[in-house]
Amino acid sequence: MSRVLPLFRRSLADSWRGLLGWTAGVAAALLLYLPLYPSLGGGGQLQSMIDSMPPELVKTLGYDAIGTGAGYAQSTFFALVGFVLLTIAGVGWGTGAIANDEENGQLELTIAHGVSRGQVLAERSAAVLVKLAWLGLVAVVLVAVLNGPSELDIQFGALVATAAALVGLTALSASASIMVGAVSGRRSWALGAGAGVAVLGYVSNAIGNQTDDLAWLHDWSPYSWAFAGDPLTNGWDWQMWMLLAGVALFLVVGWLVFRRRDLTV
Amino acid sequence: MTASATPAITTRGLVKRYGSRTALHGIDLDIARGNVFGVIGPNGAGKTTTMRLLLDIIRPSGGELRVLGESPRSGGAALRQRIGYLPGELHLATRARGRDFLAHYAEISGPVRLGVVDSLAERLGLELGRPVRSLSKGNKQKLGLVQAFMHEPELLVLDEPTSGLDPLVQQEFLTMLREAKERGQTVFLSSHVLSEIQQAADEVAVLRAGRIVQVSTVAQLRESAVRRVRVVVPEPSAALVADTLERLPGITGVRRVADRPRAAAFEAQLDAHVDTFVKAVGRHELIDLTIEEPELEQAVLGLYNGAGGER
Repeated sequence: MSRVLPLFRRSLADSWRGLLGWTAGVAAALLLYLPLYPSLGGGGQLQSMIDSMPPELVKTLGYDAIGTGAGYAQSTFFALVGFVLLTIAGVGWGTGAIANDEENGQLELTIAHGVSRGQVLAERSAAVLVKLAWLGLVAVVLVAVLNGPSELDIQFGALVATAAALVGLTALSASASIMVGAVSGRRSWALGAGAGVAVLGYVSNAIGNQTDDLAWLHDWSPYSWAFAGDPLTNGWDWQMWMLLAGVALFLVVGWLVFRRRDLTV
Repeated sequence: MTASATPAITTRGLVKRYGSRTALHGIDLDIARGNVFGVIGPNGAGKTTTMRLLLDIIRPSGGELRVLGESPRSGGAALRQRIGYLPGELHLATRARGRDFLAHYAEISGPVRLGVVDSLAERLGLELGRPVRSLSKGNKQKLGLVQAFMHEPELLVLDEPTSGLDPLVQQEFLTMLREAKERGQTVFLSSHVLSEIQQAADEVAVLRAGRIVQVSTVAQLRESAVRRVRVVVPEPSAALVADTLERLPGITGVRRVADRPRAAAFEAQLDAHVDTFVKAVGRHELIDLTIEEPELEQAVLGLYNGAGGER
């Protein structure tokens, strides 16, 4: 009782090794991709390569604007590798928050102590979100550092907005995992929910990119909410707030069920 | 420790259903403060279910439940701080060291007096510097005991507390129970090790298939236990002795067995009527007489098998 947020701190302390690994992964991706830009994009080589690819593929990957520094960083990292890395990390942590702990029987002991269910859910969710935000911060710092040497010409405000969009998008998957874990206590369901949100978002965005007839799919894709406004070029976009609203909704639903139900033991 | 007049645990018609399966069919329990109350029964009898209901890990489907005067549901975290709980299946997979693991729970459910953790760990022979998940089953169980006892809660709920512990540590655990009782703490424990209940508990509830078969003191349970007796008499008085045995109260299942030459041996089951039995057979010439010490186990097995105590 002496210090605040015991479960939050325990959660971080239990997973710092993993966080270190994900940090290295994000750093490695950025350090591999971004320094290549001057030799690829600057000379127009990349654009001519993209032009020779099938247009459907280019639209699916979102490589339309790869000829600019912002477009390159967006296509290679934020919209692809970074998205995948943070999604996997977030879904893993989100599944660990309740479902994993419940299924392997450790949650029973914690719940039997002097904490409320809401406190467990809130502090562990906060730990997941903070860890994702940390990875977003790592991306911001590295892109900012590489911006000059790699001739990317990215505005700092737009960079922060894009990292926020990435964190928001992956937090949505993570909170889907937290919610389903809180509702069902099943590990596989929680994993599936988080991965499902990510995949459906990506796929509906990619299909929506193909023709104007299907552009309405963007309205339903969290991936589009994050990136359709091209935040690395244009900065903050109101649709990003839909991600936060989604996170809040998932966590509240998870809490409402979790506080009422039996622990599956 | 507040020596309050409210009972430690009261249940009335406590029911727990999982879908169509009923785990508890209306349990009535009254456990006074400062008591050591044991619950025994076969697997699936509802022991663990009852304990989880006390801790609000699961919620009752019906009936009333008060723990330390409060409903577990509305008592919430504040109530659980006053309880120490050892789960029946303790799963600990954290990388944290034992000391940090305990410090975490001490923060949540504390305060824990300085030195209590170390003294408990020393008594149980538990090393606190190692990662929890690398501990053996027995050492994890010790860690579980320390986290239940360390904040000196008003109520201890211990599900199969000695499973995995070696006999020396079991003895130490029984000492800890006695000390807890002296301090006025209430203990609710389950076990299938009947000798443990016999040594530690004041009262015992026998649970079978979600129902309480019997609540009694250990002394009463022992009285209802059956003793195996064996009487050896010279052949000439065999018929007479057989007749006496058949007429005695509390004697069942008399049968003649082969023994030594020119003698007749009888075996039977005897309930609490020891005095009558000894005086009756004492009128005959005896070659040998054996009364085995009643095992609580036998009494309980009797309850498991039959309806209410006869065999």
